[in-house]
Amino acid sequence: MSSGSTEARAADITSEPVTASEIMVTAASKEVNDGEVAVVGIGLPQVACVLARRTHAPGLSLLLEIGVANMEPVDTPVGLADSRIFYRGTCWSGFLDTLGMSLHRGIVDVGFIGALEVDRFGNVNTTLTKDPDGRVRYFNGSAGGNDVASLAKRVVVIVRHGKRKLPAAVAHLTSPGFVNGHSRQELSLRGGGPRRVITDMAVLGFDNPSRTASIVSIHPGIQVEQLLDNTGFPLHVPDPLPVTPGPTKEELRLLREEIDPGRVYLR
Amino acid sequence: MSDKVKTITEVVQSIPDGSHVALGGFAIARNSIVFAHEIIRQRKKNLTLSQGVMGLETDLLVGAGLVSKLIVGGGSLDRFGPVRCINRAREDRSLVSIDSSSLSLAFGYLAGALGISFISIKSLLASEMMSRLEDNAPDYLRRGTCPFTGEEFVFLRALNPDVSVVHVQVADRNGNGWINGPRWENEEQAKAGKRLIVVTEELVPTEFIQRSPERTVIPGHRVEAVVHQPFGGHPTGVFGCYDYDSEHLKVYTDHHKTPEGMSRYLDTYVYGTRDHWDYLEKIGGARRLNDIKAEAVYGY
Repeated sequence: MSSGSTEARAADITSEPVTASEIMVTAASKEVNDGEVAVVGIGLPQVACVLARRTHAPGLSLLLEIGVANMEPVDTPVGLADSRIFYRGTCWSGFLDTLGMSLHRGIVDVGFIGALEVDRFGNVNTTLTKDPDGRVRYFNGSAGGNDVASLAKRVVVIVRHGKRKLPAAVAHLTSPGFVNGHSRQELSLRGGGPRRVITDMAVLGFDNPSRTASIVSIHPGIQVEQLLDNTGFPLHVPDPLPVTPGPTKEELRLLREEIDPGRVYLR
Repeated sequence: MSDKVKTITEVVQSIPDGSHVALGGFAIARNSIVFAHEIIRQRKKNLTLSQGVMGLETDLLVGAGLVSKLIVGGGSLDRFGPVRCINRAREDRSLVSIDSSSLSLAFGYLAGALGISFISIKSLLASEMMSRLEDNAPDYLRRGTCPFTGEEFVFLRALNPDVSVVHVQVADRNGNGWINGPRWENEEQAKAGKRLIVVTEELVPTEFIQRSPERTVIPGHRVEAVVHQPFGGHPTGVFGCYDYDSEHLKVYTDHHKTPEGMSRYLDTYVYGTRDHWDYLEKIGGARRLNDIKAEAVYGY
């Protein structure tokens, strides 16, 4: 393909409207710095870290709990144990190496986790949901989630926004944040706890004396009422209210053309 | 060196009801399906299963009603959905589930493999898993402090399964085993077992092992028996050998949504097949297996 046609396609590909997922991964990519070590799962965290490596953090090291470092998959994996995600790794080992001698040892800067629910203290539930009639439904449980939440220096939770996804208190506390507003030291946890909750409506943070989720920025096109109505706990609205920076043209091109061309994660 | 090659039938016959069996798969990767199917055919009962991240093999065994206790970190079938048989059993409380985290399982096995009675960990603290286990499973974990620094830890009791089963790509007749690709908690899990069964895709001469012994993760002197079964992990993927079989995994997930469906699945593919070769014929035989065979560069 000639460079001329690549440029033409790039111009075309970045002119489509920016999606909420693209804003989420761009915001998430800003949570890692060059030279740091991050533990990721597949999906948006992996996409965000690949974006970071391709932009401001080329020296970012990525670890997968199963025992993979710095993978460069060329086909889309269906999960953490899909061989597609092992491709071009620089180390293949196991839990003791990644979750043990890196994460437990205290050298993982950022851990990304998903959630069924995340509450106002950044506590995460990946175990079960409770219907209003009291019926319990089980899901995947912790796997490495509790380890990452307990031990990473900073934790970033990636979740779709909704009242039931962000309740006042989780139905099951799988992975601790600032439980009941306590400091991590009071909880005897080594890791620094939740740094950000990144949703498809906003970025939330915990840098306040009560250690409760507060608005860091609202995504472009989202109304404050919409955000508050879809959150299961009160959120203080800062004035002025910052808007989450969307992806630059180059970030969009990378995401759409190179990192997730099949739009598997960035629907 | 002794020849430890046995049939899966012989190996499973030697496992008593009520055993604690550690399984080496992860979600839909490198599950020992040949082992799980034979346990089901022989209807071994009242099993305790332990594993870092459960997948298809564990869902099959729970779906067949053979499991009374789980000691696990988590579980799923990746994009093919949750482990529905297991989750149903948790919801109707037909089994006891000791739930912790991936690293907790790896640490428990490591302690078992090293012959120490417990190990301290900084996971689980302040979580609901911790408070539940403190109340319901004091034989599994306790809170404690470091005698040197006074720091608070969780003390996990060592895990020493009655039998550990590890599915590998390559082994010789003595059990020297290679695991290609990442290996989650396989090494410490295998070495924590009171007995260790190696199931291998390929059976090679010892001379071949001797050419790259640094690849041996499972040393033969720890191994009791070797079972040779090509495509023994189907429909889960075995890196470098074959991809997961998405068509058959969809057949499975169509069935495991309900107990009745699961029962039909087991009748057709497990009770309705004599052995793993017969099962492989039923899922499409040589043509289907060739479709999922790993490509040389990618390994899937």
